Amino acid sequence: MRTTGKTSRRIALFIMLSGLACITTTALICFFSGTDCNLLLYALTPELLFNIHLDRLAAFFTALIGLVAFCCVIYSLNYIEHGGSEKGRHILTALLPLFILSMIMVVASDNMFGFLFFWEIMSISSFFLVMYNREKVETQKAGIFYFVMTQFSTLFLFIAFLLIYRYTGTFDIGYTEALPQVVKSFAFMALVIGFGTKAGLIPFHKWLPYAHSAAPSNISALMSGVMLKVAIYGLCRFAFDVLQPELWWGFVLLAFGTVSAVLGVIYALKEHDLKKLLAYHSIENIGIIVIGLGLYVIFNHYGLQTAANLSMVGALFHTLNHAVFKSLLFMTAGSVVQATGTRNIEEMGGLVKKMPVTAILFLIGSCAISALPPLNGFASEIMIFQAYLGSFELNNPVVEIVMVIGLAAFALMSALAAACFVKAFGIVFLAKPRSREAGKATEVSLGMLAGPAILALTCVVLGVFSFQIIKGIGFDLPVPNMLPVSILLLLIILVFAGLLKLFHVPVRTGETWGCGIQKQTPVMEYTATGFSEPIVTIFRLIFRTKKSNDKEYFDSAESITKRTEAKITTFKFFEERIYMPLANFFMKLAAFISQKHNKDVETFILYAFVTIVLLLVTAGLWL
Amino acid sequence: MIDTIIFNDIIHGLFVLILGTAALIINQRSLTSLFNIYAAQSLILAVMAIVLFIEYGTLNLLFIAILTLAVKTIFIPLFLHKVLKRISVKRDLQFMFLSPASSILISAILIFVVYLFFTNIAGDLFADRLILLVGVIGIALALMGMMVIFSRKRVITKTVGYLTMENGVLLFSLFMAEMPFIIEILIVLDLLMIIVLSAVLAFGIDSGMEEFHKKLNRLGIWIED
Amino acid sequence: MNWNMILYTVLNTAFVLLFAPLLVSLIKKVKAMCQGRRGTPLLQTYFQLFKLFKKEIIYSDNSSFIMRISPYLNIAFLLVASIFIPIVFIPAQESGFGNIILFLYLMVCARFFMALSGLDAGSTFGGMGSSREMTIASIIEPTTLMACAAIAFILKTTNIPEMFGTVLDGSILQYPTLFLVPSSLFIILIVETARVPVDNPETHLELTMVHEAMILEQSGPKLALMELSYGIKQLILMALLINILFPWGMATDATAAGILISIASFIVKALILAVVMGVFESFFAKIRFFRLPDFFMIAFFLSFATIVFELLS
Repeated sequence: MRTTGKTSRRIALFIMLSGLACITTTALICFFSGTDCNLLLYALTPELLFNIHLDRLAAFFTALIGLVAFCCVIYSLNYIEHGGSEKGRHILTALLPLFILSMIMVVASDNMFGFLFFWEIMSISSFFLVMYNREKVETQKAGIFYFVMTQFSTLFLFIAFLLIYRYTGTFDIGYTEALPQVVKSFAFMALVIGFGTKAGLIPFHKWLPYAHSAAPSNISALMSGVMLKVAIYGLCRFAFDVLQPELWWGFVLLAFGTVSAVLGVIYALKEHDLKKLLAYHSIENIGIIVIGLGLYVIFNHYGLQTAANLSMVGALFHTLNHAVFKSLLFMTAGSVVQATGTRNIEEMGGLVKKMPVTAILFLIGSCAISALPPLNGFASEIMIFQAYLGSFELNNPVVEIVMVIGLAAFALMSALAAACFVKAFGIVFLAKPRSREAGKATEVSLGMLAGPAILALTCVVLGVFSFQIIKGIGFDLPVPNMLPVSILLLLIILVFAGLLKLFHVPVRTGETWGCGIQKQTPVMEYTATGFSEPIVTIFRLIFRTKKSNDKEYFDSAESITKRTEAKITTFKFFEERIYMPLANFFMKLAAFISQKHNKDVETFILYAFVTIVLLLVTAGLWL
Repeated sequence: MIDTIIFNDIIHGLFVLILGTAALIINQRSLTSLFNIYAAQSLILAVMAIVLFIEYGTLNLLFIAILTLAVKTIFIPLFLHKVLKRISVKRDLQFMFLSPASSILISAILIFVVYLFFTNIAGDLFADRLILLVGVIGIALALMGMMVIFSRKRVITKTVGYLTMENGVLLFSLFMAEMPFIIEILIVLDLLMIIVLSAVLAFGIDSGMEEFHKKLNRLGIWIED
Repeated sequence: MNWNMILYTVLNTAFVLLFAPLLVSLIKKVKAMCQGRRGTPLLQTYFQLFKLFKKEIIYSDNSSFIMRISPYLNIAFLLVASIFIPIVFIPAQESGFGNIILFLYLMVCARFFMALSGLDAGSTFGGMGSSREMTIASIIEPTTLMACAAIAFILKTTNIPEMFGTVLDGSILQYPTLFLVPSSLFIILIVETARVPVDNPETHLELTMVHEAMILEQSGPKLALMELSYGIKQLILMALLINILFPWGMATDATAAGILISIASFIVKALILAVVMGVFESFFAKIRFFRLPDFFMIAFFLSFATIVFELLS
């Protein structure tokens, strides 16, 4: 019984792999040759169509989805087999292609109805996928929160799309100038809120850490790597392609992006749940992408074409890079979590000796996300840096000073991300294991290594050959050529390693210097809390950790203690000040209305009577 | 007289030095260095007045330079050092409302905000870029002085903050054409300063504000709830 | 790759490798003389490096491949970064080398791997050093970028050889606001080379260790590579400071006489700056760790003021 279940899942996944390979190849052909691809699938009514239209932007995103999903499916070949019931695994394998297909169809749709239809399918299928481990209370809470937030975003998308329909008369996605100014601004804000919630912009981000850490790791990789990018595609398409952007939109995007980037990484520094840490970094990187989009709007408005191109291409390139390295990180994190049985990094350690290949893959992912040359994270961040530094050609001092402040925040965020990943990689993989489970970890199976390995290779290729790739797409941008730098780096490393080998330097191992202690135990290693403590103390105004120490005394001279109580509480700003009050308000409203429901028959007839009378009166007056 | 470009550079350099001293004052915890930095700031102002005198030739500027040099660079710091010898306090460590790092961040943003204010309110009035810059720096300096007053507890640091505010007004006045009116304002400010200082001296300069109120309470002048 | 570039790479790297240890010893000697001692001879760092190369390597039981490759990575990243700062002559333009952001991030790379190797051995010293180093790096990064942005704004380019060329061609008076940048650059130099008042490079006590703690577990030739890369980092940052402000004497083409004059003038300027750094270090005590953000904020404020002035005039 078990073998046939596993085989049937494997067959399903292999079919998925071939399908994805075909889709990715088609998309890449569309992208590089510049030809559009058009296909009408089904017309519900003459207005509401399901169709595919791959222009360069859509083809780019489709190829992105295809590539990342391909590697996730390879990873899932073995990952699904661990944990969960047989039925659960079948459902996971069944929902996975639905999820991936819905994302591809959202990107490929040329009709707003099709877009929303597949958007909803994407949201609902991902909700079920998140609830995979629904026995745990935290997964249930995460799932419900995610579901509410996704409906919230769809609501705003509906508002924006209906506004556009009202003024253009068609559901087709195409450039329009028919909207008056006020309506356009309103539509833009609705789009930002709708797509921003799905992408994870602050302050609509709260669902992201919960959902991405509760879901199984291959689903987290897909959600974090791909689903957030679908939201970015929507923002690009509707705000830049359909509507014509105004100057203040650029500042709005820049503000949201910078706040998300900086706060995302600062909150990530405090996290000790490996997957929540990665989720907060997703928020940070989405912030970077939105910064790029905002800069594009601003530079376009002032006519600085090179800087505008730099920011747009940088933002889109970062979308691709983030998809690649974030899925890589989530998948290797999933391997680690599955090998050690815990998500808490304080209980891990020493995994580099037990799981060497996973360690190297995680290292490549960490270097990529910390924007270290010559990997791809740096290649896209330097484009945004160059765009910021290109702002000296603007002649408006106010805008330039705003750019400089944005640049400072961007630099801070970049350095903090590197610090966070030194912590993540160092505490999880290096030194000695901090718990017995971590000591018993073993390397994962080949399928779970092959998927991330392909992505790691992509990271390196995209970074080293970034200049050639950008030139190949047809943009002539002032980006540094990483190829000579990488070749030189490799050369120097080989020269010095060769020199030391040549001189036959004797090597031996010994105990770590512990200032005279007899034996090094894992307790003496640095903890994750200790590592991030200086940064947390410096940014304590943002964390607002409250330490309270109440003491009660017997006497007035305060010398005989009766009772003391010490408490450390973190102040969750968005939850306590924004989300919970809103949620409480809606709960009260719902309670009030449901109270009105619990009456007897006579009251209902009364309601109906009053409504009919009112209708008669207003209709009589109006018509 | 001097080449305009060099004149502009010297003035810009002096501006940055003044802002630097103001930032250091916000940051300082040691009282002796506080007075020395204040003396340096007044010295830079005197130098700026002399440079302006060489460029424009108004005699008033020379008088202001000499006055600043005598009173603010030499006399007041010397006086404050003497007072410091008599009291037991040597450092001021407590910060209220704002930590030093956030105060500096806020001052940076303040300069920007003041600049926006000036360009929006009186764009045509400030045709000469230098006057605009001076206006911005002068007000920024005054605001930074005010930040010192509300974020520190010891009265002696508050006095230095007040003196910084006065330096800001002086800077502002150096570049304005209408001299006599400004001199009146300066005289009033100096009078105020003398009053505050004498009141503080009477009640003890090493106290904080609460002790000040307690002492007034004992004399029956201030009713505490 | 043309001959000009290859010649430049070889000469620049050779000069950097040979001259860096001398500056380290010179600063130590200046500090010693300020303290009233005679200090070690000027060639001491060279003797130290030779001694280390002859010793054996001892790895900790807990360490992994990170400890083994990080010295190589360190020196590789810093040597490539040194190619970005022309010292011997300004090379003909090559699109890969010279971007100031790439230069900064190559140094970030070196620091990343040094921090990882600090955590590798599983000792508390290493972890503490890594933690503090990454914190200091995060806080100084906005200031560094603000100073680089100021230079890029003033000189209208992000390519370092181009910047030197621009200042060399025009007179310094054409870029007067450039004089306001050195204070920030100097503070960044102090922070990146881990000198007093940020960190004490001569002690091994927990209270003052940041940089030294991370390389505590290295030994033998690997330790020599780490010390050498520290010297290289110091030299290239000093070169950036010197050549932005006083690039006179630097050759713009590869003639033998020009190169010799460049090297000689640079050595003189570097020696002067080393003496200034030694005296500066002797004047200050190390700042408490949590007071460092206040100190960095002043540097940030000065760079920000410089940019504002540059933009408003």
